[in-house]
Amino acid sequence: MRKTAVIANVMRKEWLLILRTPNNIFFVTMVPVLVTVQFLFYIWLALRLAGADIIMDTVLAGAVDRFFSSFEAAASGTLDPEQKLLVFFFGLFPLYGLLIPCLVSLSFATFGIVEEKMTKTLEPLLATPVRTSDLLLGKALAALVPAAVMSFICAGIFLLGTVVMGKGPLIGIVITPRWWIFLFVLSPLFSLLTFMLGVAGSARAADVKSAQNFAVLVVLPILGFVVLQVLGVLMFSPLTLLLLAAALVCLNLIMLRISVRIFKRETILTAWK
Amino acid sequence: MNNAIEAVGLTKRFGEIPAVEDLCFSVGRGEILGLLGPNGAGKTTTARLLAGMMAPTSGYAEVLGMKSDRDPETLHRSIGLLTETPGFYERMTALENLLYFAGFYDIDGRTQARRYLVLLGLWEKKDQKVSGFSKGMRHKLALARALLHEPEILFLDEPTAGLDPEAAQEVRSLIRGLNERGRTVFLSTHNLEEAEQLCNRVALIRTNLILVDSVENLRKNVSGERIEIVLENEGAEIARTLRVLPFVRTLSVTDRILVVETKKGSADTPELIKRIVDSGGRILSVKERSQSLEDLYLILIRNETGKNDA
Ligand SMILES: Nc1ncnc2c1ncn2[C@@H]1O[C@H](COP(=O)(O)OP(=O)(O)OP(=O)(O)O)[C@@H](O)[C@H]1O
Ligand SMILES: [Mg+2]
Repeated sequence: MRKTAVIANVMRKEWLLILRTPNNIFFVTMVPVLVTVQFLFYIWLALRLAGADIIMDTVLAGAVDRFFSSFEAAASGTLDPEQKLLVFFFGLFPLYGLLIPCLVSLSFATFGIVEEKMTKTLEPLLATPVRTSDLLLGKALAALVPAAVMSFICAGIFLLGTVVMGKGPLIGIVITPRWWIFLFVLSPLFSLLTFMLGVAGSARAADVKSAQNFAVLVVLPILGFVVLQVLGVLMFSPLTLLLLAAALVCLNLIMLRISVRIFKRETILTAWK
Repeated sequence: MNNAIEAVGLTKRFGEIPAVEDLCFSVGRGEILGLLGPNGAGKTTTARLLAGMMAPTSGYAEVLGMKSDRDPETLHRSIGLLTETPGFYERMTALENLLYFAGFYDIDGRTQARRYLVLLGLWEKKDQKVSGFSKGMRHKLALARALLHEPEILFLDEPTAGLDPEAAQEVRSLIRGLNERGRTVFLSTHNLEEAEQLCNRVALIRTNLILVDSVENLRKNVSGERIEIVLENEGAEIARTLRVLPFVRTLSVTDRILVVETKKGSADTPELIKRIVDSGGRILSVKERSQSLEDLYLILIRNETGKNDA
């Protein structure tokens, strides 16, 4: 049996099941959009209620300065405080936006594993000639595709939002190599990582709820990074981002090994709850 | 050619506790072997070990000439496993479920799915979601799934459990038909009548293998037939007078039904009936009752313990 056909078979079934579960469709499509719109909304609210001058008097001032010195913002000299602040906030989006592939992948992982457990389909599945690594890969890719698509869609919604806010010209300043690295390199890597963490968590969990409780733990570190960047503690240059990507690749490989071990026939039949 | 299944010292422990221990038996090609034993005897564990779903702690199983746990993916192309709980994707239709499982074999999924849905009388229901299926329908669908790839050996874990008598009978004749077309069948069951109808030989296990033989021979090994007598009047008083008779080995009474085991079996029946009538019993019916699995099992265990003590 060709490997690709097996993986495609798994992917097709994962999608079919997700599409037939209204909760999951909502989670996979609407939550990323809400995450994006909410981000724009807070920026708008902050500027509206407080105003740039007051915000610049806070701890953010230092962060904004460091942000501008950390990348080649050609036009930064000519920006007024409000514009600077907007560019800073816009620049946070790619990092914050990593939540999107993570949420989508987690949703696929927990649903895809817990559902199999609840319907008791794993034993008949593992009685077929499928290799557990192919099964896992099929499930991971089934999650990766919508995770990436939702990342792109949300990036589009975000850009559109800045234009609607009348700040379209400013966005050009933050669409630098950093932006593309986030979207095309980090987003899929995070998607795979959270997928495998989701598998590991779901293997222990008895139902979708407890699997998702575990999943929250995966999302927290990303929010932590966002906070650190807001405080100006962490600034990601393209180089640090690529180093981060390399670290993620290693982490992914480690997690893949762990997941494949968790996904052994005998482990599933004897150790899974 | 050699045997289809060969178990040699097959042992599986979960922690310290053995689920099965030192099983040695073989199943010839084209044979139906029935695995009998009470709950927790290790029937499911044995089927899983043979089907390469888990590795033995010690000993080994050879299935179609391959060590069952060495390359399960390859083995699975030639065997079918009906698991104890037939799980399906509830939100998918019967056909979608079968096509998904068929997608892991080198077969024409549509043709095979159709063939077995028709054979099991589920073709009309092929586009219904499995969530709406009854237990019996799920069971048949699970059988279809196990047969899709025309496996040489079938492992069936309680293939008729929970089915109504008609459905159970259908499944049995299906199994017989498959066997006639050359399939080797390894099935576990709690139903001795079923084993007798279907199997060339049965293996009785409780963690260890107690014996492997034909059901006919098993029955011969176990002396003492049981006779069931249904009375018109209360049986308790009559039972008291029967118990003291020298040829009555055991006797149990529930309301108006007496179940009596005599020393010489049916040879003692006329005398037994006479005694019942003499003590005022009004007999509605008399019939020989064959040993239930539990009876046979208990007797065999008793013999086994006796042998060990000697
Ligand atoms: N994953 C497991 N972990 C620990 N013990 C197990 C596991 N699977 C089975 N056992 C134990 O192994 C023994 C045999 O179980 P098994 O399921 O094979 O019995 P069975 O004959 O199929 O019983 P039943 O008639 O109830 O289906 C039991 O004592 C059971 O508790
Ligand atoms: Mg069992």
